[in-house]
Amino acid sequence: MPYYRGICNFCGTGCGHLLRVEGNRVRGVYPVSGHPLSRGRLCVRGWHIHELLQTEDRITQPLIKDGGSFKPVSYEEALDYVVEKVKKLSGRQLAVLGSPRASNEENYLLGKFARTILKTNNLSLSSDAGQEESARVLLEGCGWPAMTGTLAELRQADFILVVGGDLTKQNPIIASEIHHAHRGGTFLATISPRKTQMARLSQLHLRPRPGTIFYLLQGLARVLVEEKAIDDDYLSRFTVNSQAFLDELKQIEIEKIVELTGISREEMTELTEKLIESNSAYAFYPTGVQSLDRRTMAALFNLFLLAGKIGRRGSGINPVTGISNLLGSYDMGLSPVFLPGYASVEDELAWERLENFWQTRLERWPGKNVDTCLSEEKDIKALFVVDHDEEIIRHVNRIRQLDLIVYFGAYENPFASLAHVIFPRTSYIEEDGTYTNSERRVQLVQKRIEPPAGVRPLWKTLTNLALALGHDWNYHSVESIMGEISQLIPYYQGLSYEKLKTRLGLKWPADDLHPEGTDCLLVEEAGRRFQFVQVNGQEEKLTGEPEIQKEFPFKLVVGRSNYFWHQNSVMKRTFIPKREYNALLLLYPRGFVEISTEDASRLGLREKQMVRVVAESAEVRLAARISGDILPGMLYIPYFIDEMIPEFLHRQVADLEKNEEFFLPVRLEKVV
Amino acid sequence: MYWLTKEQLLLLVKKLAEEYKIFGPRHDRVSGEVIFDHLSDWSELDLQAAIPYNPPKFILFPHYEEILKYRYQPETKEVRIEQINLLEPKALIGLRSCDLTGLLCLDRFFLDQEYVDEFYLAHRKKLFIISNTCLRPFPQCFCVCTDSGPAAKDGFDLDLTFTGRGYLVEAGSKKGLALIADLHLPEAGPEALTLKKKIVDDSVSSFDRFALENKAWISRATNRLTTGFIKPEVWEYIGNQCFECGACSFVCPTCSCFNIEDANLASGETNRLRTWDSCSFEGYTKMAGDNNPRKPVEDRRNKRFFCKLSYSQSKKYLRPGCVGCGRCARVCPGDIGLPNVVTYIRREITGESGE
Amino acid sequence: MNKSLVPIVSIPEIATIVDIRDEIEEVKSFYFTLDRPEIEEAFKIRSGQFIMCTVFKAGEFAVSLPFSPENDRKHISVRRVGKVTAALHRLEPGDKIGVRGPFGNGFPFEEIKGSNIIYVAGGIGLIPLRSSIVHVLQHRQDFGRVILVYGAKSSKELMYKESIKEWQATENFETHFTIDRPEPGWSGEVGFVNHLTAKLDLPVSNTVAFVCGPPVMFNAVIKELKLKGIKEQNIYSTLERHMKCGIGKCQHCAIGRTLVCVDGPVYTYKQIRTLGEQI
Repeated sequence: MPYYRGICNFCGTGCGHLLRVEGNRVRGVYPVSGHPLSRGRLCVRGWHIHELLQTEDRITQPLIKDGGSFKPVSYEEALDYVVEKVKKLSGRQLAVLGSPRASNEENYLLGKFARTILKTNNLSLSSDAGQEESARVLLEGCGWPAMTGTLAELRQADFILVVGGDLTKQNPIIASEIHHAHRGGTFLATISPRKTQMARLSQLHLRPRPGTIFYLLQGLARVLVEEKAIDDDYLSRFTVNSQAFLDELKQIEIEKIVELTGISREEMTELTEKLIESNSAYAFYPTGVQSLDRRTMAALFNLFLLAGKIGRRGSGINPVTGISNLLGSYDMGLSPVFLPGYASVEDELAWERLENFWQTRLERWPGKNVDTCLSEEKDIKALFVVDHDEEIIRHVNRIRQLDLIVYFGAYENPFASLAHVIFPRTSYIEEDGTYTNSERRVQLVQKRIEPPAGVRPLWKTLTNLALALGHDWNYHSVESIMGEISQLIPYYQGLSYEKLKTRLGLKWPADDLHPEGTDCLLVEEAGRRFQFVQVNGQEEKLTGEPEIQKEFPFKLVVGRSNYFWHQNSVMKRTFIPKREYNALLLLYPRGFVEISTEDASRLGLREKQMVRVVAESAEVRLAARISGDILPGMLYIPYFIDEMIPEFLHRQVADLEKNEEFFLPVRLEKVV
Repeated sequence: MYWLTKEQLLLLVKKLAEEYKIFGPRHDRVSGEVIFDHLSDWSELDLQAAIPYNPPKFILFPHYEEILKYRYQPETKEVRIEQINLLEPKALIGLRSCDLTGLLCLDRFFLDQEYVDEFYLAHRKKLFIISNTCLRPFPQCFCVCTDSGPAAKDGFDLDLTFTGRGYLVEAGSKKGLALIADLHLPEAGPEALTLKKKIVDDSVSSFDRFALENKAWISRATNRLTTGFIKPEVWEYIGNQCFECGACSFVCPTCSCFNIEDANLASGETNRLRTWDSCSFEGYTKMAGDNNPRKPVEDRRNKRFFCKLSYSQSKKYLRPGCVGCGRCARVCPGDIGLPNVVTYIRREITGESGE
Repeated sequence: MNKSLVPIVSIPEIATIVDIRDEIEEVKSFYFTLDRPEIEEAFKIRSGQFIMCTVFKAGEFAVSLPFSPENDRKHISVRRVGKVTAALHRLEPGDKIGVRGPFGNGFPFEEIKGSNIIYVAGGIGLIPLRSSIVHVLQHRQDFGRVILVYGAKSSKELMYKESIKEWQATENFETHFTIDRPEPGWSGEVGFVNHLTAKLDLPVSNTVAFVCGPPVMFNAVIKELKLKGIKEQNIYSTLERHMKCGIGKCQHCAIGRTLVCVDGPVYTYKQIRTLGEQI
C-alpha cells in the first residue's frame, strides 16, 4: 500500500499530495512538505479527496437513452449514434461545454474537436465569465492573461490587498500564504462587504456598500494621484496611456465616492499610503464563481499599474482560480473569444496559423459561450458536455428541447440524466494529464490506479469519435497530445512529460528563454508597454430609485462565496467535507437569511425567528441568522439554499449569481 | 546489546519479510519527502532519513477503513453481516521514538480503557517494531520537552542506534531476542552502553534553544490548561487563525478521533467505514436536529489542546498526548501547531509582545 | 461497571421490529426482539443506558432505552430528526435493525432505595426517564414519595399517554402536568415546567430528582429545585451528544474530560457544572 505523489484536484491552488493506494483503491491522502506552493498543507477538501475517489456513482459503460431510461451499449454503437446525428447538423447548431476539472490535454483535444470537426465556435466552460473577463483585462493591460506575480515570494511582501470573495474558503492554501505573510508583518488590506476570516485578520478592512467596490477602487486611484504619490518615471517609460487615464481620474470627486461607498477618505488614504510605500505589493481577487465584474477588475489593475506594481519582481496582480484546471482550460482555448494560447478570435493571422497547424479550414463566425447559446440562440440543436457540475441546470427546459446531448463523464449527476448518449471517462488519477493552477504552474498528475473495466480516458474517446467522423488524429498516448500543445502554445513550448515527471510543476511561460518556467511578469521581458484598461460606468446611477428604497429598504445579496462548494456535485460524494459544508444548513434546516446584528436588534428579531423576504416579484420564508459579518442594510442568502427555495431564487439567480456585486432590493417581514 | 553491521541490516529485513509485510521510511527523490510507507523494494529503506512527514499511525488506524460489510434484503428481511479481518503481520522498521511513543499512546487508548477496540486490535496483534534512535533533532522536533525521545525506552522488539560504523541493537521482547539469535548477532561489550549514552546525550544537547526553553513552558502550559487559567482572548486569537482543515489531528501520532459512515455499494452491499475525524470540525459535535454544543471555532481549538496536554487526558495515556514530533506545526495553514500555542500561552503569562 | 451487562460491542446483533406505535407527531416507538435467542436472553439493561441502533443501508445512531430492566417490552422511541431516523420511521413490523449495547452508566437504583424521587420531564425528555419510572414503580415499596412533573408545548405533545395512565393507577404515584398555552378541553396547569415545579409542594430531604428535557427547560428546572433546597449531587440528568461508536473511542461525545458514552449519559448536576463546557 504505497503512497504515490500527485496533485489535489479540487481548487485552483494545486497542492501537492500523496495518495495511499491499496490494491486498486485510494485509501488515504497526505500532504507533501516539499511542494513549492502548498509546503505540506492541505485544506479540509484536500484531506478528503480519497473519499470522493471511492465513490461508486461512476459511469462505467457507454449508455444511450431509450425511452425514459438508459441502456448500456458498446463504444461502437454509441459512436455510431453520435456520428449519425452530428452528420445532419452544422457547426452553428452545435455547442461544446468543457470542464475546468479536465486536464489540459483533454481540454485541448475537446477544443480541437469542436473547431476542426464539429466546425463550431460555440465552446466554453461554465456560465461564469469571471476568468475570461480577468484574462481579457490583463491581456489588454499587460499582455499576460494570468497571475503576474508569484506566490513563492509572498512571505516577503510588504503589502497585500485582497478584493472580494472569501479566499480562505475558496483557495485555503493560497490564503494560508497570505495569512502567514500577515503574521510575519506584511500589511494586509481587504475590500469586501462581508467580514470574512481574512477581513477579520486584516489591518485594514474596507467594507464598501454592495455594488460599490469599483467606485472605491477608482476613488483610491484618485487619492493616489492627489497625494502626488505616483512614479512619473515608471508611467512614462512603461505605460502608453497614462495621461489619458490621469485626465479621466480628475473627473472623480472623492466626496461622491465617500458618499457612495461609505468609506472615509482617511481609510482610503491609509490604504494608498501603505501601497505606495511598499517595495513589494500584491493584489488578489478570485475569478470564476466569486468573481468581480469586468470594470472592477480593470479598476484594480489600473490602481496597481498607477502605483507601479505591475511587471516588477516581488509585486503583481494575482487572480485566483476556484477550480483545479480553470486556468489551463482557458490556456487551451476553450472559449469563444480565445484561440489556444490566448490569440484573439479577431486576429486573422492567428486563425491562419491555427489552420496551418491543424491542417484544416476553420470557421470564422463569432462563437458564443454555452450559457448564451442556451438562453439566446434558437438554432442550437446539440450539446457536447464534459463532466459538469449543475450550474447550467437552470436551462433545463431549453436543454430538454435539444436533439442531441452527448455527455462525457466519470460520475453520475443530474446533467447526465438529460443526455441522449453518455460516454464514461476516467477520473483524474486513472490517466496521465497536466493541470495548470492559479499560479500558472503546470503540474503532471500520473495515472495511479486502473479505471473500472471498459472505461476509456476522454482523449481516447474523442480520438475514436474523430476517427468515426473521418479524421485520423493518430495519438498514441496522452503524452503525444502534450507534444502537440507545446508546439502550438508558446507558453507551453518548453514543457514535456519527461521534464514534468522530475519536477513539482513548472510555471508558464516555459520556453527557450525560461526552460525552468517563469516566476513573474517583468516589464523588461514583457515585449510591450503596459496600458491602463478602459473602464466605464462612472456616470451610472448611484443607488436605487428613492421610492424603491422606501418600499424595499434592504439590499439582498445572493452569495456563493462562503458556501460555494455546497451544491457542488463533487463535494456531495464525500463524507466529512460534505458534513462540514452542510453544518450550517443542519443548524438551519429550512434555510436562512443573514441579517446584521444592528438591524436585527432594531427590528426586534431573534436568532432563527422566521421571516419573510419580499422582493418585487416574489417572496420566501426563511429563518433569520443574525451575524456580525454583514453590513447593516444588507441581507445575505447563500446560493446553496437554492435547493430549498427555488421559486424565489430562480427568478433572480441568473443576475445575482454572476457575482456578489449585484443586489436585489427587498424588505423583511416578521412571520407571525 | 548486540552489533549489527549495515550489511546485516538487509539480512534482518529479509528475515522479517518471510513473516511480515515491511514498512519503513523511504525518500521520494522529486519532492525530497521522507515517507513512512510499505516497502516492496527493501533497498529503499533509509534509516538515516529525517523523521517521516507521516507518522505510522495509518498502519494501525487507517485514514479510511472498511470495518464491516453487510447486505440487507428488505424483501426477504435477510441480513448478512461480515466482519473484515485484517490480520496481516507487519514489521515497522526504523520508528522514531516520538512515533513509537505515539503508538503506545494509541495502544493505551484503544486497548486499555473500558472497552477494547477490536478493529485496532486486529491491526495491532502481529506487529514487529524496530525503533531507531535520533542522532540529532530535526527542525521542529521537541521530543525532549515531552519525554518521548530522542531514544526509545520501551515498546520495541528491537531498538537500533547508529554509531557511524554499524548499529547497536537492543532487544525489547522475546521476539526481538529470537531474531537476534537467528541472525547470530555478536554481543556488544559493556562499552556499548557508554557509547549509546553518549550518542543520546549528544543528541539531546543539540536540540536548539527554542526546544530546550519550551521544555519548562510546556509543563507550565499543561498546568494552565488543566486549571483553565488561560484567557479567552488567547483562544480567540488561536481560533481566528484556524482554517478548520483537520490537519493537526490527522498528522498527530496520538490523535484517534474517527467518524463512522455506512456507504451503500453498487453491488447492493453496504460498507461501514471508519475514517479519521478531527475535533476542530464544526460538524464533529453537531447533532441531528438543531443543536451544536460546541459552536465557536475557538471552543474546538481549545478542546484539542486540552486533550493533548491536560493532566486528566494524560491519565488516559499515562503521559501527555503530545509526543513532540512537531508535525502539527508543519502542516498547519494557520501556524497554530502545538509549539506556537505554547508560545502564545507563554506570551500571555509573561506579557511579552508578539515580536 | 459491570461488563457482563454488555454483550454487543462491535458487530451489531440483528433484531426484528415486532410492533410500531405512533407516540406523538414525528415520534414513534419501535418494539423489537433480538433474533438470536441466546442474545435475547442475555440482553440485560439498566435504566438510563442507550444502544447504538443500525438502520440498514442508512447508518447508525445512539438512542436511549425507555423500557424497564425487568418485565417490560424492549423498544426505543425515536423522533425523526435526520437521515437515519427518517429511514427508521419508514420501516415496518418484520423489518430488521441492528443493535449494539447497551452502553453507558445508567441511573442509580439500588443506591437510592428509600429516597423520595421527583421526575421532571419536558417534551420527549420523558423518553430516557421512562425506564427508571417503570422500574421504580415495579419496586414501589422500596421508595418514598414518587412524583412526576411533566410538561410539553401542547397536550398533543405529551409522550407515553397510555403508560402514564397505567402509572397513575399505581398507588402513591403523584403526577402533575402542564402545557405551554391554554387549549380547549385542557383542565390541567398551563405554563412552563419550571413554573409548575416552583409551585408544587415537593419533598426536599432524602430526595433525588431526575430531570430531562431541552437545555432551556433543564436549566430553569434545576434552578427551582436548588431554590427548594435539593442538593446538586442529588439531581440527575442524562445528556445527549453526537455519537459514533458508543464505546469511548470515537470521541465525538466528549464533554470536558468525560465521554458521555462511557462516563455518562447519566450525570449529577454537580458533575455537569464542573465538566467545563456548556450543556
